[in-house]
Amino acid sequence: MAEPEVDLNKKYDAVIIGSGAAGGMAAHVLTSHGLQVLLLEAGKKLNIEQELRSMEWPYDNAHRGGLPPGSHSLNHNEYTIRRPPYGPGFEKSKNLYNYIGNSDYTKNIVVNERDNPYTGTNYAWVRARCLGGKTNIWGRLALRLSDYDFKAKDRDGYGENWPISYSDIAPYYDKVDLYLGITGVKENLPYLPDSIFQRPTKLNCAEVTLKQGIQKMGRVLTQYRAGVTTDGLKHNKYRSRCYGRGACSRKGGCDIHAAFDSPTGLIYPAMDTGNLTLRTDSVAREITVDPATGKASGVHFTDSQTMKDYTVRGKAVIVAASTLESARLLLLSKSRLYPNGLANSSGHVGHNFCEHIMGPYVAGQATDLVGKPPTLDDGRPGSFYLTRFRNLAEKHPKFIRGYGFEGGSGSSMFPPGTDSSGFGASFKEEIRKNQGSYIAMGAFGEVLSRYENFVDLDPLVKDKWGIPALRFHYKFGDNEHRMAADMKETAQEMFEAAGFKIIFVSDRVLTEGWSIHELGTSRMGNDPKTSVLNQFQQSHDVKNLFVVDGSAFVNASCQNPTWTIMALCWRSCDYLADQLAKNDL
Amino acid sequence: MSKSDPVNLKQDRRQWLMTSATVLGAAVLPLSGAATDALPSETQTAQPGAGAPQTVGDAKSGARFFTPGQHTLIEELSETIIPADSHSGGAKAAKVADFIEQTLGESTDDQQKAIWREGLRLMESMSQHYNGKSFVNASAEEKIAVLKVLSDNEQLTELPEVQFFRELKRLTVHGYYTSKIGIHDELEYKGNRVLMEYVGCNDPTPPTT
Repeated sequence: MAEPEVDLNKKYDAVIIGSGAAGGMAAHVLTSHGLQVLLLEAGKKLNIEQELRSMEWPYDNAHRGGLPPGSHSLNHNEYTIRRPPYGPGFEKSKNLYNYIGNSDYTKNIVVNERDNPYTGTNYAWVRARCLGGKTNIWGRLALRLSDYDFKAKDRDGYGENWPISYSDIAPYYDKVDLYLGITGVKENLPYLPDSIFQRPTKLNCAEVTLKQGIQKMGRVLTQYRAGVTTDGLKHNKYRSRCYGRGACSRKGGCDIHAAFDSPTGLIYPAMDTGNLTLRTDSVAREITVDPATGKASGVHFTDSQTMKDYTVRGKAVIVAASTLESARLLLLSKSRLYPNGLANSSGHVGHNFCEHIMGPYVAGQATDLVGKPPTLDDGRPGSFYLTRFRNLAEKHPKFIRGYGFEGGSGSSMFPPGTDSSGFGASFKEEIRKNQGSYIAMGAFGEVLSRYENFVDLDPLVKDKWGIPALRFHYKFGDNEHRMAADMKETAQEMFEAAGFKIIFVSDRVLTEGWSIHELGTSRMGNDPKTSVLNQFQQSHDVKNLFVVDGSAFVNASCQNPTWTIMALCWRSCDYLADQLAKNDL
Repeated sequence: MSKSDPVNLKQDRRQWLMTSATVLGAAVLPLSGAATDALPSETQTAQPGAGAPQTVGDAKSGARFFTPGQHTLIEELSETIIPADSHSGGAKAAKVADFIEQTLGESTDDQQKAIWREGLRLMESMSQHYNGKSFVNASAEEKIAVLKVLSDNEQLTELPEVQFFRELKRLTVHGYYTSKIGIHDELEYKGNRVLMEYVGCNDPTPPTT
């Protein structure tokens, strides 16, 4: 794989900022069209062949997989009690990570919070600055949206419809399925369209019991739809098929890349075309503008290591820095022409910020499985997904929109049940005998898109590179809290219907941000007064500027967003390439 | 001590805290981890074949936190949390004490270190109070009796001995189930090999339409 040097005198066809799901996809699609592309990534180029250690035995790790001394990962209370940038009380920790950075397998993928402060309301902001970003450690649940989401306003009157329908994006979901691989089972649900699935993994016996138990309630449990190739991908030499080897519940990526990650799934193949130049350690500070035309001219960035500044030029600029970083970059890109930030004549950049609320969950036990020989349950790419059932045919009296449950069950490398009370021979024996019998699920619900939930730039606080920090103005609302109360009740009633012994039920809502599904800060729409982007994620104001990550979402739906981000991005980049060919940007 | 009697820990501890002052002089447990007054002979008898110098040396150099005597006490405490049984070895065989020692030796958390130092001292006082002998010399039943007092009072988190018990249990569990014995012998974990197919469950449910 040749790595060409960045040419500062060259005008690239496109400069992409960010290398996660969106930036990787943009690189893949645009280089496939033969365009000369520069990809800028703020973080380092990890050697992911060594970094992703899904099958390392903990006893072969210097700290049994834990963080080395002097490092600390923020816990839930610290997000709510302490304030970013986490000064007093954390002096002993040289490296301070978000809650995902709590192991030796994730710490190098997430940022050091000290270098990357943010301010305002509580928010567990999980950032991964490295090649591939959060795709290196994502949860892999790959779901489609439907017209229940794209046209949600038609159903309940709230918010805005998307400027696209399911039929517009369905062909691109298909392309993503086939190019990256996805495992699951067809269910023919109108509100959760099927993908083109590869070989599914089986449910275990507790999951089948739950599936049957809720069927009479009209509810659906299906195999975890994972962005994982179970049959292999003939066109990709960097990824192996899933062998079901285990430890998939470890948040440390997949060492054979059966699970999708942007580097092996998108970026390495894009480099093999010879059309991609990659520059890591490149922190974008501003999208530059040609004052004569009002168009984007390139990107001004700082080398994160040498602190030297550079400017690169492109015919088109593609922002894919993640929903919140992309908004920050647009707001940072102020000029005489664009005093409120780039692409922001509507004043909506940073607003309509939404995500998924999570926390309520149920844990239980299928007592008939106690003492059965253990099976390799965590060798599956995921366990199960219990689909949305609220506000489909009937209207719920207390809230609009819906939620689904992500579940897990069975044995895993580190056993479940170790937090039970007691000690000694019986404690040990119970952990052994119960290990395959546990089942749990937690809900992910739609947080309504609201103009009042927004981010802007902090007037004082700056990051390590002197760039103004992001400031949060974001809270869950009443609809979300009423939904969370319902999540707990339905979780309990479904476990009761399955005949499980219930161990714990909780309605505790986790801090804003916990789902790592932030969306909506530059929403799409047909009206330039109330939206930032058109249906092709192209700025209404600046025709050669595209924002191809989760920023464009009009609402959050309750489905995990990664697959939709990539399908939308593919569609937009096809359009971009076409416009560029016609000289129409 | 009868097993059926629930112990009022808050009341009891006044007594053993008073007696601890006199016992301490003879205790094998110095307050400082750097002290040298441990008894190597006792350590070696406690775990033949894995004597104190080698055992402690297993932890990374510079990571030494306990005296040999304290290390033996940790071995006995962790083995009481997860004992050997007919199915597999326990915490001692899995060298959980080495893991705990390395963790504390490298820790930058002075509060955590203090909980362990104070906890070991209090364990000895409690063992003297309830069993009339040091913890390492107590029988398995006597050891269980001491830890049961703490386990039954796990919610009294303001007490240093309870804080210690919770830390002891947490690190013992972590060290044990990340060890070879814990993963392979005890749990018989099937991972890290190619499986032709996941066994799963027969699903008689007709497909959704």
